[in-house]
Amino acid sequence: MLSLTSRQVDTAVDDLRTGICSWRLSQFLAWQDIKQRYRRSTLGPIWLTLSFGVQMLTMGILSSFLFNSPFSKSLPFVCAGMLFWTLITQMITDGAALFVTTSRYITQIKCPLSLFVAQAVWRNVIVAAHNVTIYIVIAVFLAVIPGPSLLLWPLGFVLDMICLSWIVLVTAVVSARYRDIPMIIQNVLTILFWFTPLMYFPEQLGSKRFIADYNPFTHMIALVRAPLMGGAPTLDDWLVVLALTVVGWAGTFLFFARFRARVVYWL
Amino acid sequence: MLSIVGKDIHVEFPIYDNYARSLRHTLGLGVIAKGINRLATRKLNVGGQIDKGETGRVVIKALDRVSFDIHEGDRVGLLGHNGSGKTTLLRTLAGIYEPVGGAIQASGRVFPLFDLQLGMDQDATGLENIWMRGRMLGLAKQQIKDALDDIADFTELGDYLHVPIRTYSQGMMVRLAFAISTAITPEILILDEMIGAGDAAFLARADLRLKDFIARAGILVVASHSMAMLRQWCNKGMLLERGKLIAYGPLEEVIVRYEGARA
Repeated sequence: MLSLTSRQVDTAVDDLRTGICSWRLSQFLAWQDIKQRYRRSTLGPIWLTLSFGVQMLTMGILSSFLFNSPFSKSLPFVCAGMLFWTLITQMITDGAALFVTTSRYITQIKCPLSLFVAQAVWRNVIVAAHNVTIYIVIAVFLAVIPGPSLLLWPLGFVLDMICLSWIVLVTAVVSARYRDIPMIIQNVLTILFWFTPLMYFPEQLGSKRFIADYNPFTHMIALVRAPLMGGAPTLDDWLVVLALTVVGWAGTFLFFARFRARVVYWL
Repeated sequence: MLSIVGKDIHVEFPIYDNYARSLRHTLGLGVIAKGINRLATRKLNVGGQIDKGETGRVVIKALDRVSFDIHEGDRVGLLGHNGSGKTTLLRTLAGIYEPVGGAIQASGRVFPLFDLQLGMDQDATGLENIWMRGRMLGLAKQQIKDALDDIADFTELGDYLHVPIRTYSQGMMVRLAFAISTAITPEILILDEMIGAGDAAFLARADLRLKDFIARAGILVVASHSMAMLRQWCNKGMLLERGKLIAYGPLEEVIVRYEGARA
């Protein structure tokens, strides 16, 4: 695994570089995916926003009942949290099916595998951008005022996306080889949903707060959720996600360099 | 100068399906693997050799130490029975399969054209599909814009370009795909069977366009079972048999060899 040839390293670098440089193409393909999904429906992509809005209203109300917190506080919290949770988990879920669904391309033309990762990232970012409108409506309606840390929001968002990219890439490669992985991932994500402060506030865990603290998703969510709600992410949040990104990408690179060329043989 | 040089190319496919693709079997006993191994010791006549790979896994040797030089201006026709490794070689030339052994060196941009309709969407209009397929072929926005009129003219689809292609007849669909795919200028063109276009009335124009398209390519490698087709388009032949390169040289000589092996 660690004995990489210089060719493997070069081709992996080349794959990632081309994948990143053709961001116009991956963005174009992502838009096509979304258009394709909603073709012939009158409301089109607005359906994304509508169904998310309905889901948020239900979850927000339920959470305020269940955890005894004021509706005006829990609704924006749940909505912002779920916005990014949906983004994160959908990206990973897409990653698990990535090379299988794009196998037609991979076996017909030579294209960087990272292009499809970029496509999945774009696609989900576009969907999230639609869903943001729901949060904005809620925030305006409930007069939630974001604080000055909103300036750091783009940085946190980009960091999250870079971190997620390696998770998507690794998931995609492993899932192409072992077809049980997507099911395992689906289950893990379902469990993690309950361990991530989305429906409840982290403080409500009391002495069991470590459940949330040891969960990297807690920090990834906090990085982008807190600034929207007038708070600021903690230093821990930044450090955890930064470390996860750097270490994750380093490991991913070695893994990718070793197995990249094999993926097409697995399809 | 455009060229592709292959040296001792070795491509083998691991067999995972049905027994090893799922974790369960990798973790469990390789009982079925043993069965396939037993099967593998019997040599089959068609297809690549089933063998034990380096890791002891069952593999199909699709290409077995294949070496060749292809130079600018070469029009290479690939011959061989079903499963002789033609498609695998084409995909290896295209850079899709990276060989497990040996090396392949291409100077020039390799352009595989295996599925004319790759990247096309049934629910999108003809025009939208020109854009999608164009982007898939690696064309920049401006290049598509420049080629748009030419493609539209050639298809003779007129107003049909503004309706979803799922309403098209098979012939119209092929015509559109053909027109877009032949709008590019390939350096090294790789085809699996000769491409064609639509109905008879259209053939003369399509033929002209195809000739022009192929003429623009610096190198052509095409696999076909039709000797007439190969004689029309190629000057060199390459004969594969069970993953091994048996002959490579002037087309007629290779065809004689191929038909001799058949008789």
